[in-house]
Amino acid sequence: MKECPLENGNSAELIVAYGARTLAPEVEAAFERHMSTCANCRELAAAQREVWSAMDAWTPAGISSNFDEKLYRRIATEEQGTWWRRVLRANWSWRPAMPVAAACAVLVAAFLLRSPAPPSGASQSQSQPKLQIEQVQHALDDIEMLKKLGVEVPSDKAGSSEQI
Amino acid sequence: MNPHGIESRAAQPSWNGRVKEDMAATATLERDAELMLRVRDGDQACFGMLLERHRGPVIHFMYRMVQNQAVAEELAQEVFLRVYRSRGTYEPTAKFTTWLFRIATHLALNWIRDGRNEKLQESLDQETPDGATRQVADRGRTVEQELVYQAKLREVRQAIEILPSKQRAAVMMHKYEEMEYSQIANVLSCSESAVKSLLFRAYESLRTRLAHMA
Repeated sequence: MKECPLENGNSAELIVAYGARTLAPEVEAAFERHMSTCANCRELAAAQREVWSAMDAWTPAGISSNFDEKLYRRIATEEQGTWWRRVLRANWSWRPAMPVAAACAVLVAAFLLRSPAPPSGASQSQSQPKLQIEQVQHALDDIEMLKKLGVEVPSDKAGSSEQI
Repeated sequence: MNPHGIESRAAQPSWNGRVKEDMAATATLERDAELMLRVRDGDQACFGMLLERHRGPVIHFMYRMVQNQAVAEELAQEVFLRVYRSRGTYEPTAKFTTWLFRIATHLALNWIRDGRNEKLQESLDQETPDGATRQVADRGRTVEQELVYQAKLREVRQAIEILPSKQRAAVMMHKYEEMEYSQIANVLSCSESAVKSLLFRAYESLRTRLAHMA
């Protein structure tokens, strides 16, 4: 090892691997040779090995004897779940159905937008007399205007005004 | 040799022992994927085999993350339940253990994030709430040795507990599950350099906190 890993920025990975004893033998030997002359690296490596061995002391606790039993019970409960849950968790994907559903939604929307809503009976009956009155008013105005201009009023239009 | 000039054993496939280990690991990985594919096809017994193989590592990982055995087992149950639920859509695109630990890490980090770990740390030998016994090994220590061990253990647990949750997960996978940087990166969905950074900061913090134990 030509230069100190603390100086060339290699220290972190090297120290962790040294602590975990996962360095290749020749690299480990080179690092140990370097440590014999470098107090900083020696201190850091010793601290890392200490951390490693302290963590070794944390052995896992035992596992409950009924762990599997509880798990299989939960699985069985899920398997006997409601039909819609089974459908939702079925072994098929929703993904292919999405474009079809989207296309259906677009078609329905287009159909609803194209066909205008038919007027309701109540509003039709209310607007009809108002429309007739306006038409009569217009017809009478037209006749009066034509009379003023000296134009002869056709008999059917006059008749229609008389009928009204 | 990696860009930093550090050779690790993981990067030395020429060693006979390592090659054998790698081959065995590959066979194990293929076996896991094969078992999961058989579970997908409806073979319930294969799920039992997967549970048998990975129950311990998942529970121990959870325990070290949440530091409570009952919660760890509950979360581990949820992990295996999710594995079972996902059987229909399982595709062996990644290592089975990567997928498994991704689920486990996600659940553990969520649990920690939700702050449910407050005041839940317990003694290792505490009984489970439903009275089920745990298989705790007789460590064969004297009372004095046991006290020293428990004190040391408490310090280690506290030092780890103080770590940010993602650093904690990275350290647990690196130290106890012996995962490589690339696999930890896959589990945590980040880059390998991010994992190295997480680990180096975590170990630096642990060195500071546990230095007096030397």
